[in-house]
Amino acid sequence: MGAAAKPSPDQRVAEFRKVFSLAENEVGRVIVGYQEVIRKLLTALFCGGHVLVEGVPGLGKTLMCKTAADALGLSFKRIQFTPDLMPSDIIGTQILTEAEGRREFQFKQGPIFAHVVLGDEINRATPKTQSAVLEAMEEHQVTVFGITYRLDPPYFVLATQNPIELEGTYPLPEAQMDRFLFKVVMGSPKPDELREILNRTTGAQSHKIEPIFDPKRAPALIEEMKELVREVMVAEPIERFIIGMIGACTPSGPGAVPEVSQYLRFGPSPRGAQALILCAKVNALLDGRVSISYEDVDDAIIPSLRHRLLRNFQAEAENVTTESILEQVTRRIKRPRA
Amino acid sequence: MLNPVETLGLARRRIAEVAAVRTFVYPLAPALVTVLLALALDPIGSASWGRLGYVLAPDRADTVRHIMFTAALIEVLAGAAFAYRAWRRAGDFIAAAEQVDGLVHARQQVLTLATLADPSAPESVKAGQSPLFPILRSRVTAFLEPFDPRREFPLGLARPLARSSLIALGAGAVMILATLGLVRPPSFAQAEAAKLRQFAREIEKSSPSPGDRALASAARDAADALESPNLPAEKKVKRLEEVMREIEQQKKQSRTSPSNTGSANGASKAGSGQGQGKGEAKGSGEGEGSGEGEGGKGKGGASGSNSNGKGSEQERIELQNELAKAKAQVETEEATSKNPESNPSGDKGTAPQPGQNPNEKGLGNQPNPIGAGNISKQGAAGEKNIPASGGNEQQKADNGSKQGDTRLGEFPAPVKYQRFLKPGEKGDAISINDARYVIFRLPGTTPVGSRGTTVIDTRRPKATTPYVNAPLAPTREDAPPDERQFVPPRYRDLIQ
Repeated sequence: MGAAAKPSPDQRVAEFRKVFSLAENEVGRVIVGYQEVIRKLLTALFCGGHVLVEGVPGLGKTLMCKTAADALGLSFKRIQFTPDLMPSDIIGTQILTEAEGRREFQFKQGPIFAHVVLGDEINRATPKTQSAVLEAMEEHQVTVFGITYRLDPPYFVLATQNPIELEGTYPLPEAQMDRFLFKVVMGSPKPDELREILNRTTGAQSHKIEPIFDPKRAPALIEEMKELVREVMVAEPIERFIIGMIGACTPSGPGAVPEVSQYLRFGPSPRGAQALILCAKVNALLDGRVSISYEDVDDAIIPSLRHRLLRNFQAEAENVTTESILEQVTRRIKRPRA
Repeated sequence: MLNPVETLGLARRRIAEVAAVRTFVYPLAPALVTVLLALALDPIGSASWGRLGYVLAPDRADTVRHIMFTAALIEVLAGAAFAYRAWRRAGDFIAAAEQVDGLVHARQQVLTLATLADPSAPESVKAGQSPLFPILRSRVTAFLEPFDPRREFPLGLARPLARSSLIALGAGAVMILATLGLVRPPSFAQAEAAKLRQFAREIEKSSPSPGDRALASAARDAADALESPNLPAEKKVKRLEEVMREIEQQKKQSRTSPSNTGSANGASKAGSGQGQGKGEAKGSGEGEGSGEGEGGKGKGGASGSNSNGKGSEQERIELQNELAKAKAQVETEEATSKNPESNPSGDKGTAPQPGQNPNEKGLGNQPNPIGAGNISKQGAAGEKNIPASGGNEQQKADNGSKQGDTRLGEFPAPVKYQRFLKPGEKGDAISINDARYVIFRLPGTTPVGSRGTTVIDTRRPKATTPYVNAPLAPTREDAPPDERQFVPPRYRDLIQ
């Protein structure tokens, strides 16, 4: 029997939409509300990025992450960050083992070795530990005693951050925040949603997650889909629009809008533009298109750029959020005419 | 199967065409208005400033016309240049694709296809096409299937035309204002020429006989000659004399034929000439006349007004008068130009000295009394210059005294005049018995301070000690007061 025929581009796009929709529905069976958060989480997964979720405790962040991993048939690990957590606790370490009368060091993998890693309250760990995780996020590999260990793709980190009880925490430096594709803010559930949560969690019934893929084939299929995302086309005027957007958010940039000059110290890096385009590409695919539109970019602006803007003292004093600044920028910037 | 790139190319061409046509329309109306103004300058003039007695000199009118035609040409050329620029700018493939994308609501799919399939794009762009490109192409093809560039990009000339009309209005107003700036009160020669033309028109209107038509034509020639700045004065005079002779000839002919003196003075144009005719007319003015010409017999019925005969005669007389005035003017101008020293202060209006009567016989710059029978003559010797009846054939026509002296034309320019003697002044007394016009110049008002004489007081006291007005030192209002505030003892330690 020969190799399976390669699916046509149309079939690949249709398959992507189907998988994404199924994953959304599957997670949605467990998590009440937060459709937008779920969508962004899955988007980041298919873009090959990581997500920083900010929300108070008890909103279901861990459950959401675990459910997504289960739905996609991926391995899942959770790390609770504390101030005394060491990098070796995450990455793993060499332990002395004895086998057949010989003693040798054997690498014991830490919890970072999984497809989906949930870093709970990442801002409670010391910068040393944080940087160990962030390096793994960026390089998709860890090095212990000179030996490099690859992290199996797909590799997806969902870090959470608690906006309250900031005493004794180590807020993530901007350089490390920049490594997250999106920052998603989870608000409190609405009354209807809360009632549904209560019904689901305090009753006798429990939802069992059905994996969409065969766990053995899941990583490969997801990698194919990530490849498909990268094949989505971008028109040159839209690229110029994105570049203009980044320039407008940079205080010293050529097209900086007044709010940016007034309230920001630093603007987004090129990673911000990459995040915009990748998110827009997923949005286009979900809409059945193979090229991105301005609306796709608009939808990606706030989650992609909100954590990449560094506010100045005036903005903090006046309680001006990065979201409001981005809204001003979006309102002011004009789509370029070819 | 539809090729989306070709459709986009068509759309691009259409957009460029529309942009070029819309741009070209803008200067079209102004150019048209300018040309129309240039062509209709004479009718406009006769209907506007002509009625108010002003005139646009023919050479100026020609200049204005040339300027207008040139302006129209420049407008058209500028329009063409701008249209070309608009065509070039609107001919961008990507920009056209963006417009098409907006029209078909393709959410930038057409734009993306155009970016990747732009015929002018480098090959590297095309080589880097995504594996998903066929999907994009098929989607765009579906979008462009019902797309018709001609329907989607109509010419839409209403707005450009409306704007162009506004511009045309402005341009027309500017042209008219500029022309009005060149309009002047007519000179004597121009006024005379205008009158001659008017007479010629009236003669032609009232009597369609060949002789009258020839006369009218001659009058027009004389008018042209009168206005021509290049024609020497002698030729002008000659031309005027020719016309006058022609009129005389016509008059003689009309006198010898009694046909026009019917019972009701009816004029039979068809029977004009030498011959006999009868004319009858009722009170309403109908008349009949028949005549026999020199060369044969003539018969004609005159159903026109019975004033035709008199009117024609009257017109001839008036024409003759105008010609005489024109001739006199030309001769005066010629004489002035030849002997400028004879009247050095004429233009300034300085009164001649007593005893220097410019109207005296024999002065070189006096109009020829024989030729200009009805020119006003002033002064004591003026009666000698009054045209005597029967003295000259041309002067016979001057029977205008019945209607007053000023009926003949313009008020004469005050070139030759006398003045009354001041009290105590000696000189010949002036006679205004035969003068037609007397110009009074009222003395200016006496200045208020001119009464009495100014006496300088030489005996007023003068300073004996030298002095100088040295300025005082300036005082500053905001200067701090020159006083010291002593620090209270309890604070001194604290400050130290």
